[in-house]
Formats: sequence, C-alpha cells, structure tokens
Amino acid sequence: MLLLVGCYSNNCPLENTVTCNYGFYDSEGKAISYNDTITVTTLMPGYKTVYTYRKMGNKTVSKDAPDTALVNQGYSESVTQQRKDTILLNNLHGASSMKVPMSYFREMDTLVIAYRSITRKDTIKIQHSSYANVELPECGTYRFHTLQHIWSTDAAIDHIEISEPKVNYDGNINVKIFFNGVAIE
Amino acid sequence: MTEDMRSVRLRHIIGVTLMMSTFVLATMAQEPQIQPLMPGETPKPTKYVAVEEQKEHLVFFQGFTLSADVYGPVAMIVSDYGTLEGALRLNLKNTFFPIIEAGVGKCSKEDFNTKVSYKTSAPFARIGIDINMLKDKFQSNRLYLGARYGLSIFQYNIAGPAQTDPIWGGSQSFSMKSINCTSHWAELIFGVEVKIFRNFHMGWAVRYKREIASTKSDFAKPNCIPGYGYTTNSTCWGGTYSLIFDLNWGMKKSHKRGVNVEIRDIPPTIDNEQQTTVEDNEHGTEEEKE
Repeated sequence: MLLLVGCYSNNCPLENTVTCNYGFYDSEGKAISYNDTITVTTLMPGYKTVYTYRKMGNKTVSKDAPDTALVNQGYSESVTQQRKDTILLNNLHGASSMKVPMSYFREMDTLVIAYRSITRKDTIKIQHSSYANVELPECGTYRFHTLQHIWSTDAAIDHIEISEPKVNYDGNINVKIFFNGVAIE
Repeated sequence: MTEDMRSVRLRHIIGVTLMMSTFVLATMAQEPQIQPLMPGETPKPTKYVAVEEQKEHLVFFQGFTLSADVYGPVAMIVSDYGTLEGALRLNLKNTFFPIIEAGVGKCSKEDFNTKVSYKTSAPFARIGIDINMLKDKFQSNRLYLGARYGLSIFQYNIAGPAQTDPIWGGSQSFSMKSINCTSHWAELIFGVEVKIFRNFHMGWAVRYKREIASTKSDFAKPNCIPGYGYTTNSTCWGGTYSLIFDLNWGMKKSHKRGVNVEIRDIPPTIDNEQQTTVEDNEHGTEEEKE
C-alpha cells in the first residue's frame, strides 16, 4: 500500500502555462536559428504613470511609483503617461522558436518584436478565441486558444502563417515566422 | 474337572457351532440359485446395467442467472463514485455464461486543491461472457474468467474558480454544463462465486478496465465515466460483489437440476427395450427429497 502511495502520480501536463509557439524559418521555408537578438513586448490596454529620475553623471531611473529618496539625493523627477506595454520575451538570441503567452479574454493580441541589428520593429497581430480547459480536476484549469487570423509588418519578416490553430500544451508549432533572406548551408 | 465345568464347556461348543452354522447358511442363501433348464426352455435375458458406464451429461441450457452488485451502492455512499447495477446471464453447460450488465453510475467530486468540481450521472451497459474454469462443472461453485465491452452515453458538468489573466488582466467565472460524451471500454474479469443456499450464490470479481475511446471535447476530458470509473490513467481497476440467483426459466421440467444421466454401451444381446435412458435418475430423487 505504501509503495502504491509512493508511486502515485496525477498525470497532469508538465507545462502549467499554455503558450503560442512560433517557429523561425527563412523565406524559403527552411527551419533556422535566428541569429539576431529579439525582444517581444505586447501592447496593453490603457496607460500608466511613469516617474523618471535623472541626475548628472548617474543612470536614469524609471519607476511606477514616486521615490522621494531619489529626490532627496538630488535627482530631478519627471512624470509621464505611457502605454502599459509588457515585455514577454527579453533578449532572445539564436533561437529557433519562441513561446509567447496569449491573452485570456481579448480577441486580439498585438506583439512588437524589436531587433538589435535593425532599428525598425515588426508588429504581429493575432486574432483568436479562448476557452477554459480541464484535463483533470486535480490539475486545475487551463486556457486554450484557437487562432483565427494573423498579420505582420515586414521589417525583418518576409511573411507569417498559422500552422496549427489550436494552442494548447501539446507543444506544436502554431505560427511560422518566415524571416527575410535565405539561410546559407 | 467338575460336572458343572463340563456342562458349561459343552454349552459353549454347542453355541459356537450353532452361530457358525447360521452364518454359513445365511451366506449360502445369498448366492443365486441356478435353476437347471427344463427341456425346450430358452434362457431368459437378464437386465444388464453397466454401472461403470453411467455418465452424467450436462444439459446445454442451464437456465438464467440474475445478479445484483452490492459493492457499487456502498461505494456510492462512502466515496465520490459508485454504481447501481444488475446483470442477466445465460448458463450454458455450467461453463459459458453470456452476460448483459446494466446500471446507473454516479460521480460527484471536487478537488480539494484546485476546487474544480465534476458531476455526472448516467446509465451504462456492458456485454460479454464469463467462462467457468473449474474442471468439475457439476459443482455449484464457480471460478471464472470473463471479458466485457462497456458503453456509456452521458453528459457531465464541470466548474471551477474564476480564471484570471496574469498578464493582460481580467477574470471570468468558469462553468461548463451538459458536455456530451460517449465512452467505450473493455474489461477483463477474474471472479469467484459460491453456492450459499439452493439457487442463491454470492461472489466477487476483480475487473481490469481499459478505456477504448471517448468523445473529445475542447473544454474538458471526462474525469469519470459511469460504469467505468476514473480516467486519471488509461486503465483502471474495479470490482463487484454480487448476489446471484440461478433461475430455471425456460428449462425442461426433467432438466431442472441441469443433469441428464445416460446408460450407455448396453451389450447387443439385450433387448432394445432394456436400452433405456434414465433422466434425472439421481438428481430427480434429490429434488423430490428437497
């Protein structure tokens, strides 16, 4: 009995977060590892107040809340309204794919991809539907998605397509990003 | 030696002689007396019963068996899942038992950690066969192996705490009702049953179950299938403890005990009239006694 208890497993999925998988390909469809360093941010609804502190000879500090200690140290404070953008992936380098979470209750997600080697950014828009999923009650609930449409700009992206519309924890490539250029053998 | 002692000894000798002669006469009286044939007389045929050749043959159709499970209702009371089920099976030569099982399965559970609840209550049916593995098919006890195919068409409800988006924000309650599902499964069975009183048997069975297929839903996998059990793994174990009643519906009156006794291999010298088939020779008598 103790052995049985010791060997018990609940068979819950290993992935506890459902993400949309993007595979990287060259313009001819060959899978590649993208050498540039990319950062992915998403546009959030609404704006947020940002407090920026500057002092000659020191690094600029940005905070979401006022910091009187920095003001007392001689920093100058400036208050601005910014979009509530959130970094989803930071400085991804040499990857052949990326996993990006999706919104639970919004129909459209907007991703902004920034590259280190080029100044222009690419914007990807994904229209999708979402629904709750329960594998087993002991595993809790997940949020699955079904991709409907996808669009992108063309700074570094040649074109983009949906390869597997069902976004779950199976780990399949859901979206193929075809970058400009052809990989050299 | 006195006169008295002589007379006592004489009486003993006479007594022993009388006893021995009585025994010898009795033994002689039991031996058949062979009558000499008279001129023109033919020997009468004697009835020959080859006792060692008597064979009991089980009648093919041995009646119906009706059973009810008592483990399922107890499980329904003390745990999240249970069944109310009964079975009707044929008894063929006390060896093969084609069977139909039907019942209602009920499951209602809520996970302590995730607070996700699952509810279903639906009928199910199984069809299959049991095979009595005991060598002696005449005895009332049975040890059997069996197989089943199970089917349940049901609906289930699943609900849980509100889902909250960790990045974009927002929260939404989570409840899905009447998700349709059809499940198929197979079972292998090992069981034992013993005669308790007349036609009443009791027995237990262990069941190894494997899910064959279930309708897939985008929202939730059926956590518990009526008649099958939990789907946490692709296989599961189950059990039944049955009250079993052997019914004699449809049996010939002479075959009520399910045995046909034949006397075979009568020597050809005997008349055809004497080649009789005696049905229920012994068991019929037992029945009358009961």
